[in-house]
Amino acid sequence: MIFLYLALPLAVAAVLPLVGKVSKKTLPDLLGNATMAFLLVYTATGAKSLLAGGPLVQRLDWFGETVNLQVALDGFGLFMLLAVQLVSLAVGLFSIDYMEHYGAKANYYALLLVMVAGMNGLILSTDLFNIYIFLEVAAVASYALVAYGLEHDELEASFKYLMLSVVASAAILVAVAVLFGMTGGLSFAAVAEGLKTLPARGVVAVCSALFLMGFGLKAALVPFHAWLPDAHPSAPAPISAVLSGLLIKVSGVYALTRIFFNIFGLTPALSQVLMWTAAVSVVVAAFLALGQKDIKRMLAYSSVSQVGYIVLGIGLGTPLGLAGGLFHLLNHALAKGLLFLNSGSVQQATGTRDLEEMGGLARRMPVTAGTSLVGALSVAGVPPLGGFWSKLLIIIALVQAGEGVLAVIAVLASVLTLWYYLILQRKAFFGKLNERWRDVREAPFWMAAATVVLALLVIGMGILFASVLRTWIQPAADVLTRGF
Amino acid sequence: MTDAWIVSIAFAAALVVVGLYGLLTMRNLIKLFIGIEVVAKGVSLILLSAGWARGNVLVAQSLVVTFIVIEVALVATALALIINITRKTKSLDVRKLARLKG
Amino acid sequence: MILHLALLVGLVLFSVLAILARDLIKSAICLAAASLLLGIIFFRMGAPYAGVFEISVVAGLITVLFILTIALTKTEGDVRESKLVRMVFPLFFVIFALIDALVMKGLLAKIPMLESAARGGTFSDVLWRERTFDLVGQIAVILAGVFAVLALFRKRDPHD
Repeated sequence: MIFLYLALPLAVAAVLPLVGKVSKKTLPDLLGNATMAFLLVYTATGAKSLLAGGPLVQRLDWFGETVNLQVALDGFGLFMLLAVQLVSLAVGLFSIDYMEHYGAKANYYALLLVMVAGMNGLILSTDLFNIYIFLEVAAVASYALVAYGLEHDELEASFKYLMLSVVASAAILVAVAVLFGMTGGLSFAAVAEGLKTLPARGVVAVCSALFLMGFGLKAALVPFHAWLPDAHPSAPAPISAVLSGLLIKVSGVYALTRIFFNIFGLTPALSQVLMWTAAVSVVVAAFLALGQKDIKRMLAYSSVSQVGYIVLGIGLGTPLGLAGGLFHLLNHALAKGLLFLNSGSVQQATGTRDLEEMGGLARRMPVTAGTSLVGALSVAGVPPLGGFWSKLLIIIALVQAGEGVLAVIAVLASVLTLWYYLILQRKAFFGKLNERWRDVREAPFWMAAATVVLALLVIGMGILFASVLRTWIQPAADVLTRGF
Repeated sequence: MTDAWIVSIAFAAALVVVGLYGLLTMRNLIKLFIGIEVVAKGVSLILLSAGWARGNVLVAQSLVVTFIVIEVALVATALALIINITRKTKSLDVRKLARLKG
Repeated sequence: MILHLALLVGLVLFSVLAILARDLIKSAICLAAASLLLGIIFFRMGAPYAGVFEISVVAGLITVLFILTIALTKTEGDVRESKLVRMVFPLFFVIFALIDALVMKGLLAKIPMLESAARGGTFSDVLWRERTFDLVGQIAVILAGVFAVLALFRKRDPHD
């Protein structure tokens, strides 16, 4: 029953406000996290075996009537579902303690679940218009979640995010409509089939440009990144973790990849455009991150830069490049989720996000400092953590494909990444303890637990990279190399 | 049929561009959102005329209905945001929203 | 065809007015008028349900929401739009219209299309049988909108 990925979070979200009337905190915590835990366990155990016989398409019957409730799952989809479920569960656990002072927990979990359902639905859908619908579901929930604090900065960031995001959706929908008008179909298979027989290079190029702009905005690739460094830091920390760890990847990278690989087919020109856009993102955002004083803004710029790496690997289109890109997607989802959660712990303990004011927090918050170090080193690509292997794969793939310039850019930018993460660690956690933070305490249990779990996963990705690559990444990359 | 589709696309493109013009130049938050509504009109016109041109208006019609439902959810969220913003800044001016650096 | 063109021109005209009108209420009403025309266009294109939705929901409900918002934020005073915007607009629009006409005539006239026969069936069949997954999406998006509004209008209680 892969339809559960969509139905269960929605159903729980629908009853949560009623539950919230009975019990303000405990029951929403329990229900929200149980739902996400169930989906994670189901992904790791049940769904994997379903795929043994190849891609899966499920149709539902409704009281004996045949209706078209079609969901499909293949290696790529399953891999993305795993990433979504992992990070959202960690975020859910973290929220138990963190969201205390925001109030209205039932409403918060309902929005979080709707956003997760939107992402799951996007991953499972087989048709262009459904991609648009679930994009909007996740987006509408995320506008409210970014503004959840209801302070000036949150509202401003959310409004800017909404404006740009709506333009992105419009561009995507226009491209979908033109494809629909040309081929008469909306499902991936029908559109791909139709485009094969049509001499429509020019129109496909226009549609590709629209998709690139729309999904590029959603994925915050430079030059479409302006909203992200506002929106992600302003959100509550767990939401920053979901947005940076998951939403930009699912509604940006995943949808873009699906459409370009499974419908249009990756042409050399498109591949070049994708790779160079990505390379510009990697470098520009890394330099911008260097100059940040706000810990969450630095992390947000780092997200733009790392999404660049992911698109660089995927845009290359070789099997190795795809594997590297997808592996980096998973590594970055976990590590950046972890880092944003840690920034939340620090902010809650000290009340500031300014790196200059911090210092020496490692002595007061050893768990936060330790897990943060793990996450930072993974994103920066230090062996033996996951991020190292995925960046290595991307760089090897670039060299193999004869893209020497891009490979050099990727290597140099990873040095830059290491640099700004060391600045972050040094300013926030090491050095002399600032007198102001003498009485700072370690984060509460659930917050610490969520970060420890994510840190262990990040370390596990590094040590077990061969088996992760074989069981999860390879099937996903195969789907993309095969086309459709 | 194709000619009629081209005419519709031409007018829809005009709507989208007019909306984007408003989005880029206006200072009033509500005006900005009216710009987005105009873009949305253009998009729904493209969507329906695509189906119309193919003689497949039924599917296009159901897409437009779904699109309108999504639009309502979006408008409700955006207007709630705008009301919250004016409570904080005491103004509808988008220039008051410049604390974050982008 | 003439009537159709006239409707389309009216639609663009009202949209332009909605953008350029000084008064917010007038702006919202122009937007509603544009929706009304779009609804009629939908109806004439053989999509009566889409037309009804456009007229009742977009021209009706969304306009009400807009006017409600305008009323709720009225006390905050006027925002002066820059004069340049209205002065530049005609020039901008004429240039765009020329480009639009040329592009549509030249490039897009070559959009290739698969041959297809007109299809039968009823609207409810298509919506409920063929596009059922869209309905699930609609439920999801309505939930998202409802929770978003609830979250944005909740009382911030510091002791909560």
